Amino acid sequence: MMPVRLFFASALGWLIISSVLGLIVSLKLQLPSFMAGCEWFTYGRLQVLQQNAFTYGWIANAIFGVNLWIMSALARFEFKDSWLAVCGWLGWNLALTFGLGAILLGHLNGYSLLQMPKEVAPALFISFLFAALWPAVAFVRRPTGHVFVSQWYIIGASFVFPVAFGITQLLVVWYPTSGVLQALIHSWFIQNIQLLWIGASAISAMYYFISKESGRTISAYYLATVGFWTYFLFAGWTAPASLLGAPIPVWIQSVGVITSLMMLVPVIILGINFFGTLSYNRGFAGAWNNTTLRFVLVGMVSFAISSALNIIFSTRSLNAIVRFTDFTVGQQQLVNYGFVSMVLFGAAYYILPRVTGAFWPSAKLVHLHFWSSALGGLGLALHLLICGYPTGQTGLVSYYIPVIIFVLLQLVGHAAFAINSFVMLLASARNPNDNTHA
Amino acid sequence: MSQHSQNNDKPNRSFGEQGGLSDSRLVEVHSHLARDKEEPSEGFSILPIVIVFIFCGFGFWAGVYLTRNSGGFSASSFDLDAPKLAADNGPKAFEPDVAKGEKLFIQQCAACHQATGLGVPGAFPPLAGSPWPVGNEERVIKIVLAGLAGEIEVNGQKYVGNMPNIGAGLKDAQVANIVSYVRSAWGNKGEPVMDTKVAEVRKAIGGRGQYSPKEILDQHPLESK
Repeated sequence: MMPVRLFFASALGWLIISSVLGLIVSLKLQLPSFMAGCEWFTYGRLQVLQQNAFTYGWIANAIFGVNLWIMSALARFEFKDSWLAVCGWLGWNLALTFGLGAILLGHLNGYSLLQMPKEVAPALFISFLFAALWPAVAFVRRPTGHVFVSQWYIIGASFVFPVAFGITQLLVVWYPTSGVLQALIHSWFIQNIQLLWIGASAISAMYYFISKESGRTISAYYLATVGFWTYFLFAGWTAPASLLGAPIPVWIQSVGVITSLMMLVPVIILGINFFGTLSYNRGFAGAWNNTTLRFVLVGMVSFAISSALNIIFSTRSLNAIVRFTDFTVGQQQLVNYGFVSMVLFGAAYYILPRVTGAFWPSAKLVHLHFWSSALGGLGLALHLLICGYPTGQTGLVSYYIPVIIFVLLQLVGHAAFAINSFVMLLASARNPNDNTHA
Repeated sequence: MSQHSQNNDKPNRSFGEQGGLSDSRLVEVHSHLARDKEEPSEGFSILPIVIVFIFCGFGFWAGVYLTRNSGGFSASSFDLDAPKLAADNGPKAFEPDVAKGEKLFIQQCAACHQATGLGVPGAFPPLAGSPWPVGNEERVIKIVLAGLAGEIEVNGQKYVGNMPNIGAGLKDAQVANIVSYVRSAWGNKGEPVMDTKVAEVRKAIGGRGQYSPKEILDQHPLESK
């Protein structure tokens, strides 16, 4: 499948770019004068650039590819009009390149993940419709009546992004509402993007690969229904918990707190399903020996930890300590890297050989990638969490030398992953017949 | 029915069981049932009930928390800790509050002087349009704190008053609020009164009995309009 390969290729490119930027940014934390001579390479721009390249470059492209693959596989969908998705791919990545270039030149908005110039937003929006709504088409045309758990999450996620992105662009960037409301809408946007688009896509991939690679059906399908609906019901409401103490009506803040707690319901159900599916017949040992599931296992652990932290630290007294510290950065790192990116890596290890019809060129590079990413990602998250908490109590600044080491470790892993993948993708590009089973 | 009439070569059909099954169909259904999987016997049959209780517990806690921390679902309630913080920062500067003064007036004074401030002709003198409560603030504060008894003339009408020392049982701020209200309501034009002034007067007059109108006018004669 051409689009899947293109999505993964561009995802890899953005991953490398954002890793290099991440290394520069972390060096700047320790040595503020590093590359300070040039206006383009100031911290404010590079950090924003890194965040956007990681989210809209790596995660978004990888999610487009993985969702399209899983949906086509589950709905037995033969993708005929793939040139439309290719248009979406082209539009998305061109718009992103343009937007990131503008950020580099200093044209940026103040809201995180909305920093790109507002003219880029319509292009991203339309490209998304072309690139990422194919799962919905595949779902409508599915020949079987049965709906798999993964399909719910993908369909939900595919519709969350355009709605959240469109509304937020209109109300925060294009026609800004009054001040406090902007912050509220923006936090809602971030929560939707993190939990309901990125998070739900990763959950769908976890459901698919755990079930597929362990050869077992989901242990509690009916509970998964409850988990899905409660996840989508509560996740969108948790946003005000990140604004505790802000000048928004106190009941909105409290709703954020209680929905953060109610997120325990879908999280427990996910835990029951994943554990129940894997614990059968030495499933964990089998999962550890399977490349895809080894990544997914790390993702599961990160997801469990980050969910627990989100719930615990949405209580007012604890939230007051950690807010504005590196602790929250660590929480995001745990979600975006430890959970989502690890699951997407695992998905790539399953999907890429099947779309290219080739084998992974080097097993050593796969191992290198796993250990560098797992240690670098989790190490970075834990370091930020452990050092961020005392910062909130005493005001002491964190240590950033371990951050540099962990980010460097991640970069090594990503380089190994990229070399392995590009060799495979290029080999299949040289081979003109598309002899794959998708 | 049309399907049944086509199958009438089957010998054991009867019209009594139109929804019934032919032998071959019966065997087919049974074989389906026999092929059906066993009931799931994993450890999940009891778990969901426990989970339902736990989830209900979350929901209960969430409801209690939201009720207690909602600030009355008011759009203008921004901070749960606002009252506590105010207490922590010590007593706030007093501002005469006419709305509180009106409430206290209704409770303490309106029985005689009426909510309209017009009093009862021949029995209780009016406050509205009266020169007594406006002008020098000490006069009215003294009357509220210590009371007033004797023959009194207000706007040409004579009354025999016996006003108790209502202010003796009230706080300085409450007296200040009442007096500020009386001095500004019903078209009266007097400056508001601070609680410090009330405290000063209270200290100066001590625990004395009711004033007579003559005594108070000697100290604070009525201002000419």
